[in-house]
Order: sequence, then structure tokens, then C-alpha cells
Amino acid sequence: MTFFENQLKKGIFQICYCNNCNNTIWPPKEICHTCYKKTDWKKSKNLGKIIEFSKKESKYFGLIEIEEGIRVLGDISSTSMPKIDQLVRMSVIFDSKPHYSFIVENN
Amino acid sequence: MSKVAIVGTGQTKFSKNDDDVEKLLFESANNCIQSVNNCDSSDIEGVLVSTNNNSKYLGAILSETMGIQPKISHSIEHLCSSGTNAIISAYAHISSGLSDIMLVSGAESATNPGQVLEWDKSRGNLEHPIYWGSMLTKAHKRKFQTTDEELAIVSAKNHKQAMDNPFAYSNEPRTISEVMNSKQITDDLRILDCSRSCSGSSSILLASEEKAKIFSDQPIWITGIGQKTTSASFTKNILDRIESTRISADFAYKMAKIEPKNIDVAEVHDAFSVCELMAISELGIVADNKSGDFVRNLFNTENRMINPRGGLIGAGHPLGATGISQTIEITNQLQGKSNKRQISNAKTGLIQNMSAAGTSSSIMVLEN
Repeated sequence: MTFFENQLKKGIFQICYCNNCNNTIWPPKEICHTCYKKTDWKKSKNLGKIIEFSKKESKYFGLIEIEEGIRVLGDISSTSMPKIDQLVRMSVIFDSKPHYSFIVENN
Repeated sequence: MSKVAIVGTGQTKFSKNDDDVEKLLFESANNCIQSVNNCDSSDIEGVLVSTNNNSKYLGAILSETMGIQPKISHSIEHLCSSGTNAIISAYAHISSGLSDIMLVSGAESATNPGQVLEWDKSRGNLEHPIYWGSMLTKAHKRKFQTTDEELAIVSAKNHKQAMDNPFAYSNEPRTISEVMNSKQITDDLRILDCSRSCSGSSSILLASEEKAKIFSDQPIWITGIGQKTTSASFTKNILDRIESTRISADFAYKMAKIEPKNIDVAEVHDAFSVCELMAISELGIVADNKSGDFVRNLFNTENRMINPRGGLIGAGHPLGATGISQTIEITNQLQGKSNKRQISNAKTGLIQNMSAAGTSSSIMVLEN
């Protein structure tokens, strides 16, 4: 299991970045794709906004942009239809794969 | 650089049967050799296999099964566009002079587990293609006011066209209403908007200009090639664009010295209905906001210019074989051998094959 996955298991989304280039690296990699130096980690603030969404059965899902341009697909919890650019808070877990879940802020 | 021609083709019927990929490869490769004048398997200098199957060493296995001891043989995997990428590799071998005659065979088994890109952590647990398909569809509706009916017309058209393709998975007609009322997968996708994984194989024989004249009375020339990979992870995409298709099409048009208006017939990668609308726009065949009208007009006038064999939605999508079957369709069209599917007087055709939500695209221009 990778560091990223291990941290997800603890409920922490770690953002991979390159100190040298000041770039975010996503999906996370050990080496920066620009300078090939070793990357570093910082904890996400777990805030994002909705880029696009749809619904499967009774559950919303969508593409969310969290810090510094990182985009993930995840479930969206909302009592009403989500809106583009709406702010969401992220929670994460990991079993055999990552699960990204988002709750609409001020729902 | 030698010119490169397509001189032979062979396919199996696409189905849900759980066939061995080795057996499927042999069947289409054998059909391909049988389609060529005066060709013996010992003439073949290279064997490339395109597949996402986990079976090992398929280039060598197919060679041994066919009684070939090639100079060049290996497998090529690039998800859904493995087939066209294998053809492009064979083109490079021939045009550089490393080989004169290359067999390219693609196959997939319906139960193959190797069709999900586990590396892409940005998809989380929503790794099935229906999730990115829904995002692209919703974004297209939002930006271009695309309607559910326009999306359904893509599927109805391609199912109708697949009825005249003897190798297609589906030979059932589907009305617009049937598509719009088919099982709802998400708010933005119905089951009949989706292509289906299936078993199947297709093979193609490529030859240098010198050998092409020996093997075929109607060689079809590969005159343009473009390939572009913008990323591997889906979430880097701009949702209402397939940037890799636009860029690779530009490369192919420049190489062939043609413009989009010169295209008589095209096979495009309709993994989902919306992908056909997006592809024809990125290829420059129609403006972004007119793709729905364009496809509606094709359907109403029974014009088969786009996806005459039924596309992925009608014909099925055995990943490693799809790009080769698309190329075979355009080859047959340019040879005037497409029977009921024939576009009259087709001289220039195009293939658009893509992978992983359009993060990579391959384009080929063929001419007779």
C-alpha cells in the first residue's frame, strides 16, 4: 500500500507537491514530472467546489475540484440538487480503492 | 519512406461468448490471410497483437499458430485505442524499411478483467466508464443545449446501421423512443447510450508499396496519421472537449494534405452517444453546437457517412479489436465492398479511436 493510500485509510487526503517547482502532482507520484526531484506531501483542507454532477439511482456523484486544481470523482451528499461551483467538504476512506465523498456546505 | 497499404482484412463476429483470445486471434488472422491474393503465411515478416487481455506472449503465440517465424512480433496495449496504435506501429515498421509485410491482429474476450485503469486514483471508487461518460454528457448538454433526443438519435442511427454489418454484436433495430426509454443508468445515460464490452477479433495485413501491388488489386493507402496523449488520468480533461482528438486530427490532416471537408466516410469512437457528437466536432466535420442537428440529418436521410458499420454502440466494443474493425470498415468502403452499407464514390475515409475518456486519441486517414 502506498503512503497516499495509507493516509486515505486514516481519513486524510494528502496532497502531493513538488517543493522545487511549486507544483501540485496529481495523481500522486514519488517523482515530480517536471524536475524529477522527490515530491513531498501536505494535508488537504478538504474543501472543494462542484465542477459537474449527475445522479445514479438516488445518489448524486460528480467531478469536484479541491485545492490547487486537483480534481476527483466522488459521491455528493445534498438534500437538494447540487449546483455548479457549489462549495463542498470532502471526507475520504480507503478499502481496496479510494472513496471520495463530499457534503454540500450550508446544505 | 515507403508508402504503406492495407491489402487484406479478416474479422470474427462480435459476441458475448466467452472465447479464448488465442482462438479469436487465429480465426480473424486466418480470415485475413485468406482474403489476400497469392499470400502465404511465410510471406509475413511481422506480427503485432493488440489486446488488453492479461494473456502473455500473444504475438509469438499467434505467430506459431499461423506457422510464421516473424522478424518482429509483440503485443501492444493502449486501452480502447490499442488497435489503431498497433496499426500505426506496423506502419512505422514498414515505412522505415524494417519490414515489408505486417499482420496486425486485435482481440478481446468479453470476460477479460483488464479493462479498468486502476492507476487513475482520481476516479476513486467510481472507476466504471459510465461515470466519466455521464460527466461528458452532462457537460455537453449544459454547454451546447444538447437534448436527450439528439443523444438517442446517435444510438438509434448506429443500431440501424449495425443491422447490415454481419460482424456486429447487435443486429436489432432500436427506435429513438426505445433508446430514450431504455434502462436508466444515470440521470444522463441510458443503457442504449453505452457501447458494450464483448468478445471479438479483427486482423489487417499491411504491405509496402512494392509488395502491395503483388497482393492486392485495390490497395488502400494510409496517407495520414495523428496520435496525441494529453494525460492518463480522466480528471485532467476539459469535460466538453476531446482535446486529444482535435490535436491528432490536425496532425493527420496535415500529413495527408487534406481538410475535414474532404472526408467522405468516418468511423468514430462512440463509447457513449455523446462521444460521437464530440468527435465529429473535434474532427472539424461540424461546428460544436451543430453536431446534434448534423446527426439528426444523417439519420433522417439514411446517410451512413458516420459509423456505417454501426459504431461501438451497434457493433460492440472488444477493446483490442475495435480500432482494427474501424479501419477494416473504412478500407471496405474505399474499395466499394461494403454492400448495403456502401457510401457512394468514397475516396477518402477517416478513423478516430480513443482511450480512457479521450485522454489519448489516434486518427488515420485512408485513401484509395
